[in-house]
Amino acid sequence: MQKCVLSVLVLAGASLAAAQSADEFSKLQFHGFATQALVATSHNNFLGIDSRNVSAGWTEAALNVNDEVTDKLRVGLQLHYMRLGMFGGDNVSVDWAMGDYRFRPELGVRAGRVKIRWGLYNDTQDYDPGYMWSLLPEPIYAVDWRATDLSQNGAEVYGRIEMGGRNALQYSVYYGGYTMATTDGLMESYKEDGVNFAAPPSGKTPGFDLRWATPVEGLTVGGSLMIYTASGNLQNGTYNQPASYWPAYYAQYKYKKVFASGQYARNIEYDVITVTAQAPEVDATDGRAWFAMGGYHFTSRLQAGAYYTHYLNAQGGDNSDPANYFRDSVASARFDFSENIYLKMEGHVMKGNGVGFYDADNPNGLASRTDALMAKLGFTF
Amino acid sequence: MKISKVVLLTAALMLCTAHLRAQVTIIANPGVSASSISKSELRSVFTGESLRLKDGSHVKPVLLKEGTAHAAFLSGDLSMSAVSLLVCWRQKVFSGEAVMPPTFSSEAEAVAYIVKTPGAIGYITATTPHEGVKVLVLK
Repeated sequence: MQKCVLSVLVLAGASLAAAQSADEFSKLQFHGFATQALVATSHNNFLGIDSRNVSAGWTEAALNVNDEVTDKLRVGLQLHYMRLGMFGGDNVSVDWAMGDYRFRPELGVRAGRVKIRWGLYNDTQDYDPGYMWSLLPEPIYAVDWRATDLSQNGAEVYGRIEMGGRNALQYSVYYGGYTMATTDGLMESYKEDGVNFAAPPSGKTPGFDLRWATPVEGLTVGGSLMIYTASGNLQNGTYNQPASYWPAYYAQYKYKKVFASGQYARNIEYDVITVTAQAPEVDATDGRAWFAMGGYHFTSRLQAGAYYTHYLNAQGGDNSDPANYFRDSVASARFDFSENIYLKMEGHVMKGNGVGFYDADNPNGLASRTDALMAKLGFTF
Repeated sequence: MKISKVVLLTAALMLCTAHLRAQVTIIANPGVSASSISKSELRSVFTGESLRLKDGSHVKPVLLKEGTAHAAFLSGDLSMSAVSLLVCWRQKVFSGEAVMPPTFSSEAEAVAYIVKTPGAIGYITATTPHEGVKVLVLK
């Protein structure tokens, strides 16, 4: 699959090289953003950041180039940098790199490294300037697991079917492969559970997303399903994850100055861990999460809102154990100084530590409650 | 006395707003078959939601960077701020779904582009010369 990504990079490079005249270069589009957050928490360190000591350990940046070669063909790539406490490091990753051919509005194909259309925000969750929130609902769009969940190497068939009036169906069907990121929270979670990989496991990611633009202007409802597998070698055995299911159901309302959305997602996963010369051990997860959020644009520059999100690991056994649940009540505001610069402020009251917390940076154990304040300054063009 | 001042001020503001809205004219390349467009279609097209009009015409939105027409179009027809419109498009750009629409500093440049680009659709003040384009009636 790396060959596939390489092919698209070559195609993009060739396209850029072919754009020799000034007129053609003027069609190339460059966009980017950079953000710096300041995070302070009580009781526990959060997201792998040294947040109890007020940390600036969350930095992101991205740069993309797009070329609309013809009305139907587009090529482009996006590089993404992220440092999130002990995750991300100084690596720059290829967020997406693809060719996109749209036969007609009802049918298009993207191939290469392609964003995964899942739920309301998976494909846009790493574009910070696109949201009022500093942190999207962590149980569903985990910022510390993002490096694994964002993109896949493969192909996507997509389109929008107009059905008269305001009715329209938008679909995305995809198939590809992925490799678990070595530097994000997912790998750290495995490590803390005593699962040490010899090399990052990889697998397939078939899935689809279907959303209906309803006759009510601004109201969209939809659902997604991603099925994923993984296999790899442990330092002391083998790891196999048969097909896991990640369905999501959602609704969103955006009209004039009001925006609101909600999503329910379930994650059913079985990890089969076989330590050499021992019987296989099955570790089951049944994560159930939802959120409801809303906001309002008070002026052209100021917006504010709130959300609540809830997570439960139904396979955890004890629903009152903070390790098996997570509840987060959030209030947020964003002020845009200009079309390019903005500031976000956000407060969190979190109960439970089922997601987003790690033993590695909480060596004395985890408290069941954490309060957090986040400030984020961003620049985009 | 105070009440009458407030009434007069409110009336003046309403007149100004109406004047701003009246200035915007929706124009398209002559090849676009539609002769009218609704506000919900405008919102759909100019936020990148759908690039097809109800009559089947495929269109490509053209934006202005600033100016009276841009401000009136945003507040009167799209009911959104300049930042919100940019966020809409940038989300599509950064997720690999689209490129930013052509954006012009002057209405004359926008008109010139729309004249020569099949499917192009934009907005200008009514007084801006717009020979060679089709004027769409806003329903």
